Amino acid sequence: MALLEVDESATYAPLGRVTSNVRCVQQSLEYKFQTMKFRTWLASIAGVLPASLMAVVLFLAVYAWPAIRFNGVRFAFENTWNLGNLYADPITIAGTQIQPGAHYGILFLIVGTLLSTLLALLLAVPVGVGAAMFLAEKVDARLRTWISLFVELLAAIPSVVLGLWGYAVLIPFLAHYLFPLLTHTIGYVIPIFGGPSGSGYGLFTSSFVLAMMIVPLITATVRDALVAQPAPLRESALALGATGFETTYHVLLPNTRKVLIGATFLALGRALGETMAVLMVSGNALNYLPHNIYDPISTMAAFIVSQLDSALQDPTGMAVRTLAEIALILCIISIIVNALARLVLQLWSGYAQRPRLAV
Amino acid sequence: MSFRTGVACTAAFALVAGTVLSGSAAMAAKVSLLETGSSLLYPLFNLWVPDYQKNHEVQITTQSTGSGTGIAQAISGIAQIGASDAYMSNPQMKKDKGMLNIPLAISSQMINYNIPGLNKQHLKLSGPVLAGIYSGTVKNWDDPAIAKLNPGVKLPHNQIVPVHRTDGSGDTFIFTQYLSFSTPSWSNSAGYGTTVSWPAVQGGIGANGNPGMVNATKGTPYSIAYIGISFKNATDSANLGEAALENKDGKFVLPDAATVSAAVNQMSAKTPADERISLIFAPGPQSYPIINYEYAIVKEQQPAQTASALKAFLKWGISPTGGNASHYMNAVGFVALPKAIQELSDKQIDKIKPATG
Repeated sequence: MALLEVDESATYAPLGRVTSNVRCVQQSLEYKFQTMKFRTWLASIAGVLPASLMAVVLFLAVYAWPAIRFNGVRFAFENTWNLGNLYADPITIAGTQIQPGAHYGILFLIVGTLLSTLLALLLAVPVGVGAAMFLAEKVDARLRTWISLFVELLAAIPSVVLGLWGYAVLIPFLAHYLFPLLTHTIGYVIPIFGGPSGSGYGLFTSSFVLAMMIVPLITATVRDALVAQPAPLRESALALGATGFETTYHVLLPNTRKVLIGATFLALGRALGETMAVLMVSGNALNYLPHNIYDPISTMAAFIVSQLDSALQDPTGMAVRTLAEIALILCIISIIVNALARLVLQLWSGYAQRPRLAV
Repeated sequence: MSFRTGVACTAAFALVAGTVLSGSAAMAAKVSLLETGSSLLYPLFNLWVPDYQKNHEVQITTQSTGSGTGIAQAISGIAQIGASDAYMSNPQMKKDKGMLNIPLAISSQMINYNIPGLNKQHLKLSGPVLAGIYSGTVKNWDDPAIAKLNPGVKLPHNQIVPVHRTDGSGDTFIFTQYLSFSTPSWSNSAGYGTTVSWPAVQGGIGANGNPGMVNATKGTPYSIAYIGISFKNATDSANLGEAALENKDGKFVLPDAATVSAAVNQMSAKTPADERISLIFAPGPQSYPIINYEYAIVKEQQPAQTASALKAFLKWGISPTGGNASHYMNAVGFVALPKAIQELSDKQIDKIKPATG
């Protein structure tokens, strides 16, 4: 009944507004029903999206369940991927049918995925943040749109194209020039840069290609955050005698810390799921861990692709279910990382209004 | 008014376009066959298909995806012909009944290496030495085991980089069968199959397909790989070395028509009616140890419209005047099927029937 009172301070258009308020109070049952029906319909259509996400995870879990039960916890800690003797008759162990000798362990995949993503971030974040700083501060506002376009177009290159470029151009170059140079210079100081320089297929190449894919993501997000910093903040730092670089690096950038973290998580999520490019340049290591930065690796996503047809040779189906288990693990990690990224970036919109001087 | 005219125009256009397209589709209704699988058999299919399509009303598409994919897609019915260097296993035959393994030709496999300075010579290698290389016990090129087989050859003290296939591969199947049949320790550990759990050798590379193997060996000094004979042109242009392998009688032979035919003559009499047999490690002083039947994995029950076209194509393929003619065989380094095997394949092709209902 409070709606019958007219708010004196508000600026109403006479009569028209008041009439609609009065009408609002007289909410008929039919009106309520219409609104609810509209809302339900809209909710069910919109709900298809989260429902399909849950459906995918649930399907993977159900399909992979026999493999999860058979492989147990040691799955993540062992380095054996063995389909067993595919040409012998299946045997039964603890109620599940498998080929004799079948034993699954994916430690090398987990290590490969983690190392390649981490190294890609190490390569991409400095370059991305540097590019963002340049675009935000040193480029005229009019030119900025056009130059940023070029950076963002790097993200438009399909990953398989980058993989093919890596395979055809990058690998010979790295194998013949850069890797031997590194082993003979830094290699004597830092152990992981030493050792045999390999064939070009390996950890460093995969990380480099991944870094090329995630740099535009980081640059775009951090550049937007830097541009959105309040002008008074910039001006006061300059007025206090800070140089351009000091302003950007010591004053503005710390303010964008949350955005940087969010962008890093987003880039991490993208790099985790990257399949084709890594498949073509990683060397497809099987059952061993890399000893140095040039050794072949294997990532979970690339492994599923390269092993699917082999797994279909297993008449008991356990191999395909184990691949589904790997897919499930990858799916869950990716969902968690992306959710964290979105959450952190959401918090930024509240943060920007309360800038702090990090002096 | 203009909206209605627009709608009417679009409708009329759609009607006309539909009639024209469906008309042309009806006129061009060809049977379409899909062949997918072995990269070793792929070059032969690429020679067969253009010649066959000149005289026959059929559209054949070829793909090089690996024997494992060939078998899987033939079983699922996506591909009419699954090309494979490996026959299906007993459990697979039990699980997926009604599959035919039809030999189309006889192929062999080379062992290639890339050693700067030694690629023009034919190094002598044996099954146990190769098993040692691929399991990491023979680490360097100047290992005593290799030096013993190659007296007088100056072998470098460099680490060997073994290259293997990552996809489900018939080449892996025949190579690992050679290793298993010649080396008991390999037979008890990794065994054989289109995919095996390769022992972890530091620096070993996985490649995709025969072309991938050629590329990986070409780009990696001191590497060694197993590559199908149909890629001899590629390995020769890349100047890769080819090894002479030790056969069951202890002689070192290179793969050519004479050595492959010698091996076939020893083994073909033992071929059963379903033609699933390994020709690896044949006895005989001239026999090349790594030879195999190239199989077309085909489902017995085919859709009505493709059954007859498929049978006609396969019969042409195994005929000595058709696909098994010498100019095709010489172009890819294969050997034609002996008469007895051709008859067995013919009987299997006759089993292809249009699916009832």
